[in-house]
Amino acid sequence: MTALAPPAAARATAQSTRTGGRSGSVAWMALPALLIFFAFAVVPLAGVLFLSFTRWDGIGAIHAAGFQSWRSVLTNPGTLHALWVTFLITALSWAFQTPMSLLLGTFLAGHQRYRGVLAVFFFIPLLLSSAALAITYKALLDPNFGLGTGLGVSFLSQDWLGKGPLAVGVLVFVVSWQYIPFHSLLYQAGVRQIPVSLYEAAQIDGAGRLRQFFSITLPQLKYTFITSSTLMIVGSLTFFDIIFVLTAGGPADATRTLALDMYITGFQGNQMGPASAIAMILVLVGLVVAVLLQRLGGRDRSASQLEGM
Amino acid sequence: MDPTTTSRRTFLKVAVGVPLTGAALAACGSSGPTQAGAGGGGGNAGSAGSGTATYWFLSGPPGEAIRQASVNRFNQANPNTKIKATTFQNDAYKAKIKTAIGAGQAPTIIWGWGGGGLKSYVQANQVEDLTSWFAQNPDVKNRLFPSSFGAATVDGKIYAMPAETVQPIVLYYNKKVFDKVGVEPPKTYADILDLVPKFNAQKIAPFSLGGQSRWTNMMWLEFFLMRLGGNKLFDRVMTEKGAWADPDAQKGLQMTQDLVKANGFVKGFSSITADSNADQALLYTGKAAMMLHGSWSYGIQVANGGSFVPSGGLGWMNFPPIDGGKGDPGDTVGNPGQYLSISAKASDEQKNIAKNFFKTQVLSDAENKQWIDTGQVPIVKGTEAELNASKDKDFLNFVYGIASNAKFFGQSWDQAASPTAAETLLDNISKLFQLSISPQQFADNMNKVIGQ
Amino acid sequence: MTSTLRAETEQANEASPGQRRRHSPRNLLHLNWLGGLAAWLWLGVVIVPIYWIVVTSLKSQEVYFAENPLKPPTDITFDAYRLVLQSNFIQYFVNTVIVVVGAVIPVVFFSFMAAFAIIRGGARWHLRATNTLFLMGLAIPLQATIIPIYLVIIKLGLYDTLVAIVLPSIAFAIPLSVLVLSNFIRDVPNELFESMRVDGASEWATLRHLAFPLTRPALVTVAIYQGLTIWNGFLLPLVLTQDPGRRTLPLALWTFQGQYSVNVPAVLASVVLTTLPILVLYVVGRRQLLSGLTAGFGK
Repeated sequence: MTALAPPAAARATAQSTRTGGRSGSVAWMALPALLIFFAFAVVPLAGVLFLSFTRWDGIGAIHAAGFQSWRSVLTNPGTLHALWVTFLITALSWAFQTPMSLLLGTFLAGHQRYRGVLAVFFFIPLLLSSAALAITYKALLDPNFGLGTGLGVSFLSQDWLGKGPLAVGVLVFVVSWQYIPFHSLLYQAGVRQIPVSLYEAAQIDGAGRLRQFFSITLPQLKYTFITSSTLMIVGSLTFFDIIFVLTAGGPADATRTLALDMYITGFQGNQMGPASAIAMILVLVGLVVAVLLQRLGGRDRSASQLEGM
Repeated sequence: MDPTTTSRRTFLKVAVGVPLTGAALAACGSSGPTQAGAGGGGGNAGSAGSGTATYWFLSGPPGEAIRQASVNRFNQANPNTKIKATTFQNDAYKAKIKTAIGAGQAPTIIWGWGGGGLKSYVQANQVEDLTSWFAQNPDVKNRLFPSSFGAATVDGKIYAMPAETVQPIVLYYNKKVFDKVGVEPPKTYADILDLVPKFNAQKIAPFSLGGQSRWTNMMWLEFFLMRLGGNKLFDRVMTEKGAWADPDAQKGLQMTQDLVKANGFVKGFSSITADSNADQALLYTGKAAMMLHGSWSYGIQVANGGSFVPSGGLGWMNFPPIDGGKGDPGDTVGNPGQYLSISAKASDEQKNIAKNFFKTQVLSDAENKQWIDTGQVPIVKGTEAELNASKDKDFLNFVYGIASNAKFFGQSWDQAASPTAAETLLDNISKLFQLSISPQQFADNMNKVIGQ
Repeated sequence: MTSTLRAETEQANEASPGQRRRHSPRNLLHLNWLGGLAAWLWLGVVIVPIYWIVVTSLKSQEVYFAENPLKPPTDITFDAYRLVLQSNFIQYFVNTVIVVVGAVIPVVFFSFMAAFAIIRGGARWHLRATNTLFLMGLAIPLQATIIPIYLVIIKLGLYDTLVAIVLPSIAFAIPLSVLVLSNFIRDVPNELFESMRVDGASEWATLRHLAFPLTRPALVTVAIYQGLTIWNGFLLPLVLTQDPGRRTLPLALWTFQGQYSVNVPAVLASVVLTTLPILVLYVVGRRQLLSGLTAGFGK
């Protein structure tokens, strides 16, 4: 039968021998990535941190301002609201995309002949840029010239981008529309990797289809799930283009995520100091999320699910 | 050598060295270098004074071709110097010009909207003071509309050359729709309120509005305040703390919300954008009866509306007066012009090229003719003959009349105010139209940013 | 060893088509009907906007608002396409390809090496620090750092070059790629590494001959994801280039956005032209793509 991960003792030994005297010849491999990252991400980030302690309108001279920008950002209810909106959109995108991608991926891993054709169509949204998406959806959702009029379905002629909750929903939908094909590709690949023997064994044991799905498919998809969720959540945090061109943070501030709040404060409101503070908050949030995700991914050191098979 | 130690040492050396260099770079960069592109910027704002000036402006019709043509004419007439033009899309331009100016990489000639944006450049010492130049060249100054200089002036000094066209906000209406419903165009605001239920009963939207674009909503508030409280109130609300609490201002805010509640605007207006022309399409397809929009909309309706405009379907007027209001009914609001500034960081040679360009080619007769052909009025006095020769003479004469007769031509708030205040204003206006804040809250919110 | 779904189906596909059905593990895939329903529904959802894009790109600007948006045009006009192709479109396309290829290859390569070092290098502090640094970089908003990046690029004399777009793109793609790749490398059974070491292989050889083939799915995933992100990125090209000859496709879309209005059919025509080549690439390379993604441990 399937052997489980090797016992803890063997694990520990393996780990200590693994680290003994090896790191030297491995560490250099991280250097190229580190160098580029430093020059073009960390150094600018240091610049942003510096700017958060200044008062600057982006055009003139920079004035030192101590904690003024931080104070104004932290006491501004708009910041908390932006944090909430960011969380909301991230959670909703994830909640909508994951089940859909799972279902579609599982389906596409099958052998229906038309599967190939479907896959090609599903892929197209991924190739469209934010500007293209925004123009398309703004036109389709126009209450007078959009889908509602086109199909004659008045339900579709709502004030989609004009009411807060609807706008959030539209945003989540558009993002999902674009990225579900990608994630279903991941799940599709993940499903195809599941050893047939597992299913055969389960069938012999008398497990039904549903049971097999929950006891075999889902657990075996764990790493796909983590990869996919990581991409989704981290991606959502830094969404900017699509929200900016679709709603510009509106209506009012219903879709004003942290990234948008930062851009609007800095580039449109000419307040680079507070904008930089908001940027640092975003970085912090990202760090927290990333640490959580890593814990989730590496919590059981019995890494490989296929070990011993 | 022990590979571990070397690798770790190198690692540490690099890891420490890079941030130090980086910090040095960042520090150098942000204190505003003075050499306009002479040092690092390859191919940027004029390499060290060799007779080339750079000029950035907006791309796209209708203006791009006209601006480029003027540049070409200048280059042909002045073979020893050259102006190199680069174009950018509207939103892209706004981002790019800021980063460029902020990093000391501005082009020689900066295209802009004047007002608050220009003021921020002035405060940062990034643009040339042109007052004395205009004093030395009175013929350049005197041929332009006087009202166009307002937005170019900061603290009594002129920092930009007014250029291009005047763009007041106009009340358009669909004559065919009016005939169909059997009503007359409004003469006062009270007439408008009467018309609203009549159009709604016929399932025609009284007013088209591209609410998602925000500035479209702002036009309404600007006219309300101007008609109710006159041009003084119009100016005060963006410069004086507490001005929004003025009874006339509060009345204007309330009237706005009343009009929204009375279904004066097309259903779902908050989802309609102006830049896709969806709002204008509502008017020329007859789904809406009236629309408040900039004078540039005329050209768009001609281009996209098929036979609508040529067949005489489009009507226009200045925003009607409000009974009991203090404002002059001839006043108007909009863009009094577009503005060209000269970067203070450019070399003397480049500045001279720019001034030469302003003097000889900006709003030349050839350029004016091109503007008139697109259905717009250049800010030059005495063009009546050319206007009358155009196929759009009725509309052009109307705009020319407003611009030259208006005792007061207000610049749109979002351009006149500082960018910080403008952003808050647009934000609050959109909330006002969504009925999610009250006039009092609007006043309180604006109070916090006036003067910033 | 293990036989995966893929291995089985490949075997089955080599057999005659008639036999394929019998060996097909189709009946072992669950919730087929629900998945099928979802797939067809989703197809509808996907197709409508795409259909709209194609149909509208063939209309003229005047007609665009006058007619039912979903109705195919009565007079098909290629004006929009002509306009797009006349406007230097090919150049923008080539530029974008250069940038994407020039960025994705280093991203994948360097991130892979870094992930390998982090996972296999053990608990040394400098590797842990690097890892934390990358984690911190996950959510750096590009818009915030754009001004400092602009300054760095200018100081390096790279302004208005395609390299200027490539370098920061690589930098910002690294954290996520390292995260995904390290998760995968962690998944490789330790015994395999041990056996390589026992055979006296160097770490580099281990990376090349063991980790690389086994991590291929993740490498492909990262390459596609980052490739698409960079393909559609517009802030970096916007701020770091200027000359029209160095524009990339996202900026090209803005050629058709006038000062007051947007030429919608032209914008959509350029969207179609942008998407078509990649679509063709996908159709042609789909098998490879899928096999790249499923090159698991089924050996």
